[in-house]
Amino acid sequence: MTLASFTTPSGFLLPSIHSAPPFFTQQPNPNTQSIVTENWTRLILTYARYRRLFFIKLEDAETKGGDWDEVLRNERINRQLFPSHLSHILSQMVERNQAVYEPQKQTRSVLLYWRLPEEWAEVLHEWVTTTGQLNSILTFYEIIEPPIESVLSGIPMTLLRKAISILGRTGRAQIISVADGEGVRFFAGTGK
Amino acid sequence: MGGSQSVPKVTAQDRAILDLKLQRDKLKQYQKKIQVVLDREKEIAKQHLATGQKDRALIALRRRKYQQSMLVKTEEQMTNLEQLVSTIEFSLIEVSVLHGLKQGNDVLKEIHREMNVESVEKLLEETAEAQAYQREIDEMLANTLSREDEEEVEAELKQLQAEALPQQADAEPKVKLPNAPTAEPIVGQPEAEPEEATLQRERVAIPA
Repeated sequence: MTLASFTTPSGFLLPSIHSAPPFFTQQPNPNTQSIVTENWTRLILTYARYRRLFFIKLEDAETKGGDWDEVLRNERINRQLFPSHLSHILSQMVERNQAVYEPQKQTRSVLLYWRLPEEWAEVLHEWVTTTGQLNSILTFYEIIEPPIESVLSGIPMTLLRKAISILGRTGRAQIISVADGEGVRFFAGTGK
Repeated sequence: MGGSQSVPKVTAQDRAILDLKLQRDKLKQYQKKIQVVLDREKEIAKQHLATGQKDRALIALRRRKYQQSMLVKTEEQMTNLEQLVSTIEFSLIEVSVLHGLKQGNDVLKEIHREMNVESVEKLLEETAEAQAYQREIDEMLANTLSREDEEEVEAELKQLQAEALPQQADAEPKVKLPNAPTAEPIVGQPEAEPEEATLQRERVAIPA
């Protein structure tokens, strides 16, 4: 049996393990399963980064037509990742801080951390600095949907809030709230 | 880390700017909504045309036209809002520039207070006086020195020269200089005559 990597229509290079049928099945041996989970985690995170996907839901494994079809299904070997298996993988990812259940208090949908909130905070601060928006007041909407697409376009609100609160801890961001909503102001790093 | 002290206070202006920006965001979202409606109405019109309901298609298109005018209006309002925001932001910058100028001016005043014209004049006068005084001291010292020590200095100079001279005598033979003439130079006719004589001899020689 030869396994080959495969380039999807979206241009993503799937690893060769994705063509191995056992990869899609939950393994009874915990050691084997941990390797499978690790590979799935890596695959999910790299694919999410490639397509800028922030969420993965059990629904994506249950039905076709979502953003994740290319990864969760392999029709060339007639295999798909079952929701129960995905659920297990996601719980492992949440445990290792590679994802977080979003919204909270459910386990069907996770927010993927292909960048940790701390890393997002740096990305955010760098974007604000390079676009010359330090010290001016920005709305969250302005950051999530800027007129010119940026590295932060489409970032989920919860993740943005986390990043801002991380910056706030080092005095590099300040949340301003008014009756109508909230805004944020960034400051140059104090180097502390 | 003193988070509260490194972060400036939120002023009323900040709130006003944020309010305006939030309004602008709402308009943007509204625009998006209208765009969706526009697309939908077009689709509806197309469907009605396909099923042969021309009047319904016309109604959809009319609605679309109305929404389009709304879109133009929101566009204008958004421009207004954005202008206002940038005006406020620019005014804030102007205020800070003014503040900076003021501080600079204060500093300059402070410096000038310490350095007024009278004190400078006084200082210059004092300096001139001090220089004159110094010159006086110099002269006095120079005078007292010369009287007694000048002779000694001169004697030392002579001694040094004497020491240097023998060496010069040794160095002399290496360069051969003509001796100075001892006789008086002969001036006038005796020198001119021999020249004339040679000239005459030559003149004679050519015709022959």
